[in-house]
Amino acid sequence: MTTFKFPKWSNKLRPVVGVAAIIPAYFLFLIYYGFAPSTTDVGYAPKQPVPYSHALHAGELGIDCRYCHDTVDQSKHASIPPTQTCLNCHSNIRSDSDKLLAVRDSFATGMPIEWVRIHDLPDYVYFNHSAHVTRGVSCVSCHGRVDKMEVVAQQETLSMGWCLDCHRQPEKHLRPLDAVYDLDWVPEEDQLVIGARIKDLYKLNPSTDCSTCHR
Amino acid sequence: MPSIEQKDKSGQDYWRSLNELADTPDFQEFVRREFPNNADTLMGEDRRSFLKVMAASFALAGLTSCRWPEEKIVPYAHRPDNRTPGKPVYFATAMEKGGVATGLLVKSVDGRPVKVEGNPSHPNSLGGATPQELASVLEMYDPDRSQAVVYQTGKQVVSKSWEQWSEFIENHSAALRQKSGAGLYFLSEATASPTILRLRKKIEEQYPQAKWFEYEAISDDNEREGTRAVFGQPYRPLPDFKQAKIILSLDSDFLGAHPAALAWSRQWAEMRNPDGAFMNRLYVAESMFTSTGAMADHREALPAGQIATLAQALIARILQHESLKASSSLDDLKGIYSTAPATHFPVDVLDALVDDLVHHQGESVILAGSRQPASVHAIAHLLNHILGNAGKSIQFAPAPEPLRPSHKDAIAEVASALQGGGVDTLVILGGNPAFNAPVELDFPGLIAKAKHSIHLSLYRDETSMLCEWHVPRAHTLETWGDARGYDGTVSSVQPLIAPLYDGKTSCEVLGSMVEGEPVRAYDIVRKTFEDSRYKPTEKEWRTFLHDGIVADSTFEKRAPAVDIAGVRSISGSSISHGEGFELSLYEDLFVYDGRFANNGWLQETPDFITKLTWDNALLIAPSTADELDLNEEDVVKITAGERSIEAPVSILPGMAPNTGAIALGYGRTHGGRIADGAGVNTFAIRPNGESILQGVTLIATGKKYALAATQDHHAIDDIGMIQEGDLSEYKENPEFAQEEGAHYPKLDVWEPHEYNNHKWGMTIDLNQCTGCNACVTACQAENNIPIVGKEQVTWGREMHWIRVDRYFKGDPGKPTVTPQPMTCVHCENAPCEQVCPVQATVHNDEGLNVMVYNRCVGTRYCSNNCPVKVRRFNFFNFNYGLKEVEKLRMNPEVTVRMRGVMEKCTMCTQRIEAVKIDAKNNRRPIRDGEIVTACEQACPTKAITFGDLNDENSRVTKKTNDSRNYSILDVLYLKPRLTYLAKIRNPHPALANASEETHGKHGHDSHS
Repeated sequence: MTTFKFPKWSNKLRPVVGVAAIIPAYFLFLIYYGFAPSTTDVGYAPKQPVPYSHALHAGELGIDCRYCHDTVDQSKHASIPPTQTCLNCHSNIRSDSDKLLAVRDSFATGMPIEWVRIHDLPDYVYFNHSAHVTRGVSCVSCHGRVDKMEVVAQQETLSMGWCLDCHRQPEKHLRPLDAVYDLDWVPEEDQLVIGARIKDLYKLNPSTDCSTCHR
Repeated sequence: MPSIEQKDKSGQDYWRSLNELADTPDFQEFVRREFPNNADTLMGEDRRSFLKVMAASFALAGLTSCRWPEEKIVPYAHRPDNRTPGKPVYFATAMEKGGVATGLLVKSVDGRPVKVEGNPSHPNSLGGATPQELASVLEMYDPDRSQAVVYQTGKQVVSKSWEQWSEFIENHSAALRQKSGAGLYFLSEATASPTILRLRKKIEEQYPQAKWFEYEAISDDNEREGTRAVFGQPYRPLPDFKQAKIILSLDSDFLGAHPAALAWSRQWAEMRNPDGAFMNRLYVAESMFTSTGAMADHREALPAGQIATLAQALIARILQHESLKASSSLDDLKGIYSTAPATHFPVDVLDALVDDLVHHQGESVILAGSRQPASVHAIAHLLNHILGNAGKSIQFAPAPEPLRPSHKDAIAEVASALQGGGVDTLVILGGNPAFNAPVELDFPGLIAKAKHSIHLSLYRDETSMLCEWHVPRAHTLETWGDARGYDGTVSSVQPLIAPLYDGKTSCEVLGSMVEGEPVRAYDIVRKTFEDSRYKPTEKEWRTFLHDGIVADSTFEKRAPAVDIAGVRSISGSSISHGEGFELSLYEDLFVYDGRFANNGWLQETPDFITKLTWDNALLIAPSTADELDLNEEDVVKITAGERSIEAPVSILPGMAPNTGAIALGYGRTHGGRIADGAGVNTFAIRPNGESILQGVTLIATGKKYALAATQDHHAIDDIGMIQEGDLSEYKENPEFAQEEGAHYPKLDVWEPHEYNNHKWGMTIDLNQCTGCNACVTACQAENNIPIVGKEQVTWGREMHWIRVDRYFKGDPGKPTVTPQPMTCVHCENAPCEQVCPVQATVHNDEGLNVMVYNRCVGTRYCSNNCPVKVRRFNFFNFNYGLKEVEKLRMNPEVTVRMRGVMEKCTMCTQRIEAVKIDAKNNRRPIRDGEIVTACEQACPTKAITFGDLNDENSRVTKKTNDSRNYSILDVLYLKPRLTYLAKIRNPHPALANASEETHGKHGHDSHS
């Protein structure tokens, strides 16, 4: 019985077959990684209308997050502060700085400053800040060390998988309520032990149902 | 599962349309198919154009970058006190219609009103709201509203600035003051606003010769006249249904169209509890089917013209009854109503009625409808007086402005002044007389006879087109004002937003004509209160704005004495009801007198009884249709006197024979893009404000007109959908409603879910549902539900998440009606979840059947498998192409769905989440009743209850454990989270047997 052999000329096709297999793989790779939030979103740091430095205000000067983002524990929005808040200090400090031109303009005209949104979730996601910070999830878990950022950049992917990681295992991120706004807080014991204790204390049972975030 | 086809027709209890009763091929089609044949083809877009569109969208997709477009965050420059971005704020305000205000709470999110709700502390709302009020937010954002002052002379039409308008009105007012207002005529819509009253006094002082008239096309003229005859001055009847064991409605739709219907239906429904102290009994005699008639324990269809005879027969019978024979104080009345005329009202029912009324003296209420002549109102309130109800189960308050002429006399006087050339300046404040004034006056032709005419209006409508000046009006949600409820409660009107298209209110226009008045509406209203007896301090003023009402500001109630001379004068007058066809012109529950015709939500809500959308139609009984050889959708020429219109026919079981009814308010010509062309203008045959036309002729034209009725849409097997029984039956066997379900095996096909935390559930009490459609509109506003248009409705593509199914039962000539609100029942054994190939519909751990829009690929398998047909598919991008201003009214808490996505009731999951988050933020448990779904909130009778079934003390748990509770389609063992409470009727014991054959059986034996 004769065995089947590829004819000799077929050897010439081998590189073609190789390339033909690689091209779709290449496109799959390109789409999967090229469109992933880790590629498109992490590190996104658009230019803002006012060169505001969190590193200076929150880091060096140690102003609490809630001085400006005062609705973070009451509302879904952490709220960009009204122009009024800036001028609480800047009517006395550096009141004639060129960098504050847009702020003074806004205060005088009543027209808002248009900030560029950095952490932008899809419109079908209903995230609520108050539901997280009042349960022991720190700002730093999602926004990173903002107190060290000259220009704020997105730190995490904010993808659905990333949200679910924490909803499935919240003890990895939970901390005492007085440490929520303390961005350089370091757990004194094992994070998982502290997290589990907080989870029990506040009876936290984050849901992974679709309706939790999608309505 | 037994299906319609297998069902023994003779045993069929409930039917929704005559098609279903006759089991026509059309109806079979509706049952077999989820949507009518060909409904899934793309209408208006053939395949080629579809590909073109798709190619364009691909091209666009290629142009955008990997990130979605840059978004801006725009904070306040100066944030107002107590304002938290993202947190909704509620403001108390009120909406006035026909001079009666209903208190509202309006939800504002980040400065834009998105949802209207009833104000629980307002006596005319008690938390409920009508579709008209709920839809007012859509009207406010309507881009068709007029946006500029328009001035026209002859054929020249120019838009003017507000400064030019102010200049004109100031100079012109000064000139008129010089002439002490000679030739100055005001024609206002009805209003009880204290500010308008104050300004009118100022006008009288500054323009002594000016004349003020008030006109409403839908009016309480007859009631005022009737009470004036009986009591010497017009009174407003204020029944207390909590004390009323027997209620008789003589053509009165007091649960539906009446201005106080919200409050009254709440009181009425509270006394429909079969386990309560007593259950009221409702008798209704009416010519057309109203929601009051549908709720009746005994409903008799009588031509409207024969109701007067019935009333006369009734009062004569009562006066001759032995229990009243002795009282000599009634001798005068006995003389007047000495003989009972022959009536078509069935004798046994009349006997029962007389028996009930005389045995419940001081505990009954008799009401007459606004279409009925004054003589019927007179008899109704005489009966209340004779039976000792006055001061007990019904109170009387002097009607506001006792001396003003009736609305029809007012408009006639204005017309004759115009005709005589005596009008220099005609100021029309709201209203649309060119559209709805009595037709014989030819009002549109007369407006030009005034030297100057000014029309203040939301839209540049039929009247504005004929006036010299058109001034855009500010919407009630945009401005300061005040108003009074039906019982007189002073109500606040405050703005939710600055006028979108500028616009002024009646107060501001009047204020600009009065010397010494402030300019801003706020100051004008504030001044009214400063000058009044209230003189509120700043704190009291703020309390007033917060609560929306001034406490204890109702009209003073009096016990009026009967004026025998007046009774004698009116008793002789009775309308002639000659042979021939009779036509009732009724007020539409959605478009009213036409003013709400440009509101898509209202146009698309199916009427409670006819299930018609987007049109009015001539409603006739099946027997009348047979007699005249007319079919559904036949166009007939309706001739009344020398005028005629053409309208399509819709056959409605339960109409009185040889009688027709057709809604007013349709057929607008300058109403806006939605209003124009919808329906037929019936004002064109309405003389002298009459609502009952005699001797009307109908001539078939041979034409057909397609109506968009939803009655056969979403047809489901009706086995076990409705459970109802008589009170006596219920007392004997309280568990009758559950018997049918007990026959079927209870086997879970799948592993049951566990619900450890919350277990959301809902109950709807069919005993309290009047079918008012408030839930439908509330849901539409809350959940960003689009309107789809008439053509799409005919294809069965309406998007309402909750619908009100209306089941007829019995003889098509004399059916009983049960409305049943139907929405996703959130089955624990949900058939839809099993067939979704992409897990786009899944169960959550609180028992909600949730829909995940971003997973849905639009296979529609779920809808096909849904036993209650509550899933809605977006065949088109119905929300696409909205103007920016229309996007503002979207609820930001709910996704706006796009084409190709299935959607359905979520039990307002956004409201659940909001309360859950707030409760946990504050480390407190969720209180029962804290989460209120949109439908539950709007329900005037509180028929809908939502809550946690894991909480054994919650209202919903108690109602679920009630013996009347039953699950629909028990044969499928769906374990629905939405269950119903059976309807209990309360017929007179002597008549209960007569109706036995129409209810009685509970279905299962005939369907086994």
